[in-house]
Amino acid sequence: MIKLFSLKQQKKDEEGTARAGGSQKKASAAQLRITKDLNELNLPKTCSTEFPDPDDLLNFKLIICPDEGFYRGGRFVFSFKVGPNYPHEPPKVKCETAVYHPNIDLEGNVCLNILREDWKPVLTVNSIVYGLQYLFLEPNPEDPLNKEAADVLQSNRRLFEQHVQRAMRGGYVGSLYFERCLK
Amino acid sequence: MATGESQTPDYQQRKWQNLRKLLERSGPFCHPDFEPSAEILDFIMNSCKVLIVGAGGLGCELLKDLALMGFKKIHIVDMDTIELSNLNRQFLFRKNDIGLSKAKCAVEFVNKRIPGCEATAHHCAIQDLDEGFYKQFHIVVCGLDSIVARRWLNGMLMSLLQYNDDRSLDQSTVIPLVDGGTEGFKGNARVILPGMSACIECTLDLYPPQKTFPLCTIANTPRLPEHCIEYVKVIQWAKENPWGTTTGLDGDDPQHVAWVYEKAQERALKYGIANVTYRLTQGVLKNIIPAVASTNAAIAAFCATEVFKLATSCCVNMNNYMVLNMADGVYTYTFSAEKSPDCVACSNNTQVMEIQAEATLQMIYDKLCEDQLYMMKSPGITTVINGRNKTLYMSSIKSIEERTRDNLKKKITDLGLYNGADILVADVTTPNTITIKLKFIENIDVEMSR
Amino acid sequence: MASPSPKSPEQTEKTKQYDRQLRLWGDHGQMALEHGHVCLINATALGTEVLKSIVLPGVGSITIADDKTVSDDDIGNNFFLESSSNGLNRGSEALRLLLELNPAVQGHAVQEPTDQILRENPDFFKAFSVVVATALEDKTIQNLAQHLWDINVPFILCRSVGFLGSFRIQIKEHAVVETHPDNEQTDLRLDVPFPALAEYLDGFDIDGVELKDHGHIPWIVILYKAVQKWQISNTNCWPMSRKQKNEVKSIIEEFIRKDENGIPINEENFEEALRAVNTALMPTFLPTNIQNLLYSSAATNLTKESSPFWIMCSALRNFIESEGKGKLPLRGVLPDMTASTEHYIKLQNIYRSQAAMETEIIYRKVQQIIAQLHCENISEGEVKLFCRHAHDLYLIKGSNIATEHQLGGTVAAYISRYLEEPDVMMVHYILLRAAEMFRSEHCRAPGDWEPEGDIAMLKTCVNKILSDISCSPFPKDDHIHEMCRYGGAEIHSVSAFLGGCVAHEAIKIVTKQYKPVNNTFIYDGASTNTTTFTF
Repeated sequence: MIKLFSLKQQKKDEEGTARAGGSQKKASAAQLRITKDLNELNLPKTCSTEFPDPDDLLNFKLIICPDEGFYRGGRFVFSFKVGPNYPHEPPKVKCETAVYHPNIDLEGNVCLNILREDWKPVLTVNSIVYGLQYLFLEPNPEDPLNKEAADVLQSNRRLFEQHVQRAMRGGYVGSLYFERCLK
Repeated sequence: MATGESQTPDYQQRKWQNLRKLLERSGPFCHPDFEPSAEILDFIMNSCKVLIVGAGGLGCELLKDLALMGFKKIHIVDMDTIELSNLNRQFLFRKNDIGLSKAKCAVEFVNKRIPGCEATAHHCAIQDLDEGFYKQFHIVVCGLDSIVARRWLNGMLMSLLQYNDDRSLDQSTVIPLVDGGTEGFKGNARVILPGMSACIECTLDLYPPQKTFPLCTIANTPRLPEHCIEYVKVIQWAKENPWGTTTGLDGDDPQHVAWVYEKAQERALKYGIANVTYRLTQGVLKNIIPAVASTNAAIAAFCATEVFKLATSCCVNMNNYMVLNMADGVYTYTFSAEKSPDCVACSNNTQVMEIQAEATLQMIYDKLCEDQLYMMKSPGITTVINGRNKTLYMSSIKSIEERTRDNLKKKITDLGLYNGADILVADVTTPNTITIKLKFIENIDVEMSR
Repeated sequence: MASPSPKSPEQTEKTKQYDRQLRLWGDHGQMALEHGHVCLINATALGTEVLKSIVLPGVGSITIADDKTVSDDDIGNNFFLESSSNGLNRGSEALRLLLELNPAVQGHAVQEPTDQILRENPDFFKAFSVVVATALEDKTIQNLAQHLWDINVPFILCRSVGFLGSFRIQIKEHAVVETHPDNEQTDLRLDVPFPALAEYLDGFDIDGVELKDHGHIPWIVILYKAVQKWQISNTNCWPMSRKQKNEVKSIIEEFIRKDENGIPINEENFEEALRAVNTALMPTFLPTNIQNLLYSSAATNLTKESSPFWIMCSALRNFIESEGKGKLPLRGVLPDMTASTEHYIKLQNIYRSQAAMETEIIYRKVQQIIAQLHCENISEGEVKLFCRHAHDLYLIKGSNIATEHQLGGTVAAYISRYLEEPDVMMVHYILLRAAEMFRSEHCRAPGDWEPEGDIAMLKTCVNKILSDISCSPFPKDDHIHEMCRYGGAEIHSVSAFLGGCVAHEAIKIVTKQYKPVNNTFIYDGASTNTTTFTF
């Protein structure tokens, strides 16, 4: 153990006294970590990011344009919000594009395990990007968020494909209207 | 008698006799550096400044404990106001105090009860206080329930550290952090010597992740009453916006809680799920952590003992993490949490880069890639200017690259960098973002041509 | 804007105030606490810290017995005294300031010395659920402990000197139904399914379900089917060994569906089933400690005075011997698992109904016993709780402090066993005892005036105790020296730590929930060590 305070140098600077030269506010641990994550972001060719403010690395958008599967030709925007407790807590991710998808509901909630129950601090933004991309290649009817879509996918893949196409072109599926999101 | 004592210096008063025995006598187990003397109590009372972070269950206890351990110059910070549900453990507050500032109320009570105590209250968020404020303290002790706040405070104390030219730590800049936490009948306490022992960020894994349920379970296969409540909270609220789109769900608003409770009950009924209660609804919505006076008292007292040891050296400190379980008997376990060598908060990875004041950002970038010292692949460079983050250059992200490309040509001084400024550099070659301090040097070419 | 304003369910002031603790011991625990009456002997810093954490959660009433007058030292380390208390009765002053914490708590102060109460009004102590005492003399401790033992009132004796502290719980018998274990063992009965469960499990056809539903079959069903399949080649056998369990695992893996390319489809429920093989295949059995409890004489020889706990134990034994066929009543709790709501709720109801049925049988047996003995009624709720926790029943049979203090054969052997190790925490115990002996002999704490001079005298006390238990003297005097350094000082943070712990134990005793310390706890604030001894 060190003896932290010798009685001789016991008095501390009073509140608000001059700051030591050159000292400055440091970046938070969350900030340092997201910087690292983003610098190493290795996007698949179907994905791109958009930073409304390049100085704000905590809020950005991810755009996925699948080139195969049910959703090829579509353009889907996700918003990422990285909180101060990153990476202890995962970023908040919402889908901003209305999509007919078994694992994404119409409020933009996304059912992806690593966004909630299976998040671990060792995971990165990259892991989420790959997870989201996979959702478009392999929609999973087992764990649905949009149950109607899941039921159709399970019972009639052709019909499901038609529904997806109709939704992406802009139009009604059942009673629900989808905005056009083709590239 | 009290009147007779008014002439005696405070630290020699009879009422402090118990403490004086410990501080004015030597013992076989004392720290070798410990020199018993009356001055130690004088130091505690009249010089040593301690900051208590949080005036809740632990904070109230800490304030009382430290004041009775002789500390007078105590500051306490808390942004919260008093609620009815605090009164089962936050013993400095009464029903009449509901709605008042916790910090102010606690300070008022203790200063009145213990004459001579000069505690000061700060009714604000810890983030509202700057480093000039934190710097004045000898010791910080913290009783918070939020991991975010702990991490922030940890970061603040780490940023106050200064290193000598040989990269050794300047120990006079170390402000020890004693941290306590409780959950029901369990708790923990730890001593952190910033830059010297494991910090909050080194051991972030020790905090259990928040309990969450898969979204699809909540939406389609609810089985537990919690699933029903989470559904209303996560999905149904945003769909129905019962108080309009601008009003978010507020777990402290009884009407909101009642609405969620009712909807969750409806959902539970539909699925045949039992036991959705108001108490459970509230617990899930606010993520309520059970709390009881006794556990808080024990953990706070444990922390106060460590603060006393740090301030007096009368005894060696705990090394460095203690867990307490009072559910099955009373059990403690102490272990030494290990400092992580590449911790983002406390590893001194600050390097110094010498560079001409006239240099452009491109020159820094090239240096990072080509200099033997760095040999980086594609460094992303950011900095903090006046408390704001600024991205200087990042090649890996197209949209940022396009908008920061021009910075490369600019002089670093035009980008707001100065002699002694820190730049933050992330690269695949380092496990974490590293901090590089710029040190301006005279332009050698100019020097030689003269 | 129209407010949706749903009818807010009635939440009383009280449930709001106590919300954070009700989540730990429930409304029934709170009720028990509110019927509790805790007595404190001597309102030292340690004493008032104990009461603080009992008054805040809302104990029914407190009584402080203290004949001392408030001194400067008291004001310096006791938060529940103020400058103006100087010279007044310590108990009354502390009581006044403690009661401010919670207006719901009743309080009384008695200004007589404990010895006098014991002599003149020993029945005084009968009213209490727990008596907590601190700063007592050796002789008084023995008399008080013996008396409380005789009248069967729980007693917690505590000490705080320098960095050292201890408390000792004396309780003749303490039965806990709700122990709140961290990891509750599941009780699924896959090895001995009751009829309703067997019917449900047998009616399930794993291969028959659609792919959509395949991922929603509860793992319990999967595991059961896998074992059944395993039993075709292992008749009358239950998978116990690692090898056998691995065989069951391979069967489960065969159940997993493959996609068109023959790659197994990742299904969470099957993974859960694989994980459960190691834990859930544990055969149903009656734990030995529960068996011992049920066949102890208190449970087999009931009288009119028998406590509800023993009456319920007797009913439970009767159930196990007849309807239960050697097994405890079903716990009736289904852990959460990946499953469709329908499957899960159905299965949950099967377990719940069976548990309710078995509880009902036991409740009827309890009523029969009550009718025979003409003793006080036991509510159905109590029996339910008892059956629900029958796997975790816990009983402490305590020992008498007076006996411990006389250092008889068993106690001596116990202490010397620890001293041989050498266990430093047992050394602290000896020193705390020796300091008490010193105080009785010299009317002051060792080192009160001056540490060095008392070392030899304290050493005499230590050696007296050591020779009583036939142990050789300590090779070094350092712990004796340290005790003299403390000079009987009571350090607030040490007392506050112990105070929190003692209050906690008192609450456990009053609410009869969670396991209390059995029976001696020692804390050394200098080395930040704690330990528990059972005298």
